[in-house]
Amino acid sequence: MKELVKQLVETYGPAGQEGRVRALIEGIIRPYVDASRVDALGNLIALKRGSGGGKRLMIAAHMDEIGVVVTHIDKKGFARFGRVGGVQVQTMVGGRVLFGNGAVGVIGWEKWLQSRGVPAWEELFIDVGATSPDDSPVRVGDVGAFLRPFVDLGKRLVSKAMDDRIGCAVVIQALMEMKESPNDVYFVFTAQEELGTRGAVVSAFGVEPEVGIAVDVTHIGDTPEARPMAVSLGKGPAIKVMDAGMVVNPAVKQWMIDVAEKEGIPYQLEVLEFGGTDARSIQLSKAGVPAGCLSIPCRYVHSPSEMVDYEDVQGAVKLLRKLLESSPSFSS
Amino acid sequence: MDVVSVLRQLSEARGLPGYEDEVRACISGFYEPWADAVRTDSLGNLIALKKGTRPAETKARSIMLAAHMDEVGLMVSGFEKGFLRFTHMGGVDPRTILGQEVVVYGQRPLPGIIATHPPHVLPPEERNKVVSYEELFIDVGLPEEELKELVRVGDPIAMRREFIELAEGYVSGKAFDDRAGVASLLVCLEALQNLQHSWDVYVVATVQEEKGLKGATVGAYGIAPDIAIAVDVGFGRQPGVEEKESIVMDGGPAIAKGPNIHPVMHQTLVEVAKRYELKHQLEIIPGASGTDAWAIQVTREGIPSALLSIPLRYMHTSVETVCIRDIERTGRLMALFISQLDESFAEKLGLGEERWMPC
Repeated sequence: MKELVKQLVETYGPAGQEGRVRALIEGIIRPYVDASRVDALGNLIALKRGSGGGKRLMIAAHMDEIGVVVTHIDKKGFARFGRVGGVQVQTMVGGRVLFGNGAVGVIGWEKWLQSRGVPAWEELFIDVGATSPDDSPVRVGDVGAFLRPFVDLGKRLVSKAMDDRIGCAVVIQALMEMKESPNDVYFVFTAQEELGTRGAVVSAFGVEPEVGIAVDVTHIGDTPEARPMAVSLGKGPAIKVMDAGMVVNPAVKQWMIDVAEKEGIPYQLEVLEFGGTDARSIQLSKAGVPAGCLSIPCRYVHSPSEMVDYEDVQGAVKLLRKLLESSPSFSS
Repeated sequence: MDVVSVLRQLSEARGLPGYEDEVRACISGFYEPWADAVRTDSLGNLIALKKGTRPAETKARSIMLAAHMDEVGLMVSGFEKGFLRFTHMGGVDPRTILGQEVVVYGQRPLPGIIATHPPHVLPPEERNKVVSYEELFIDVGLPEEELKELVRVGDPIAMRREFIELAEGYVSGKAFDDRAGVASLLVCLEALQNLQHSWDVYVVATVQEEKGLKGATVGAYGIAPDIAIAVDVGFGRQPGVEEKESIVMDGGPAIAKGPNIHPVMHQTLVEVAKRYELKHQLEIIPGASGTDAWAIQVTREGIPSALLSIPLRYMHTSVETVCIRDIERTGRLMALFISQLDESFAEKLGLGEERWMPC
């Protein structure tokens, strides 16, 4: 499965530019699903029909990653940029970005070696190796993603875009491994989550699920002096109870807990005091959908080096597969 | 209906955002004698339908009344040496919770208190400081191992507070935001037993208002009413709150005016209140009302909405205070408004047949 993760995280796909990730996923899952389509916002929606008697489930993992967008190119060819999603300023200086056309840039800071503080956004620029706007390989509006390779540390995996390609990997792996299921499962690889869970808004409207589950990363509280949070790397996938965007339907939460305990899968319960996922938009679709979220604990979320635990990832695959194969019996 | 007794039961029931089961069951019992049908939707909104008596050949019309049944509360976020760490669901004011009683809904309900330091051990500069959530703990009295057996991360925690009657029709307790609104819906439903009305009435106790107007968002989509009135609480006048930011206690419902409110809805509510000599007041809301009306207004193709605010002191604390007469007036105003709804009102709102003007 590590090879699948590597392929996914190294593919270029900032929010709104999910085409390459979508093509990659489409190619991988085609033999395993009954039908698939791409909607107007670029969500990839694949259906695997059940044997009957189950529910219509929507499983969502977002394809997009955070990035930058060129807003201006000055006379010397330096590009100024804006943020695509929640990029963190303290992770920028000295980083590299890759643009859709293959151009690479280095992020510079006006006050480099003059200040020890945190840069202000307007003091940062991208140096693409150009000397003027004329020889610049990028144009205003071009979107860049972090350039950072996948690294396998053995127990742990590091890369840019773990948020949420690791979710995509978990969903794909669960799809490939799943056996007979009573449920019609819609596997939705969503677009533009980082811009406000926009892909989930329209895909849930189209799919009309009876139950929805997002698969996404969550934060942890186990690094030195971290903000207190009862989630650690390596203690299993997390079942979300609440985040800033939603309270998980208690019946959905209990269904996830029951399946994890029945299958002997280690898990953690997650209360995240900020942030949100596609689940919050699925929940509010049309006349409402019971929704939950399966989270993969991740360190340094929204940095170019997001770290996950491989056992947590495998646990998430197993839990998701068992959920898909079970009959959610709670009344909605 | 004894409004004091109803509000007492509503107030003391548990109903945290997403965990409204107990208060929903309580409201359902109150709905039953007066509604034609009751249902719960997929997010947990409790919807009562009272059918109108419609003259033949007229179009079916409906109004949605919404008040939220959820209350602000807390949630277990971790453990520390036999004590519970916690976060909040909805905006609980950390200044007001030190030393308060709570109920932790673990395997079984556990009474607890929000721990605080004795003033003797605090350095003088700490004594006047507001304590933040990170510094607060809950003590349920159990040893660490037993605590971990009974309580899990994510378990909800409600404030525990007995309802009390103050003098002159004033009452105090927790969760009046917005159980006072729910009580006014029940007053309205009861009043409609003795009034003719031609529009169908959906009385909705919404969920998760305190977590982003969620129940109203999906409830309005599912019901698809022609018009809607939300009832919530407004800042009652008290020392330290400016006149322009507050409404008068015992002054009747505040009929809101502003971009969230359809002007014809506002105007008609004022006219009905005047016609029946019901005490009422005006509340100007220049932007987002932060109430269910805000979500309902932009549901589907748009729903003309109004907002009535019941004056309330000490919002988002467990000693919220209202005047019972304001709840009764709010319920009566809605019932009287509903009884005069007809097709000409729908026309006035532009809800008639779709008409394209040739250019």
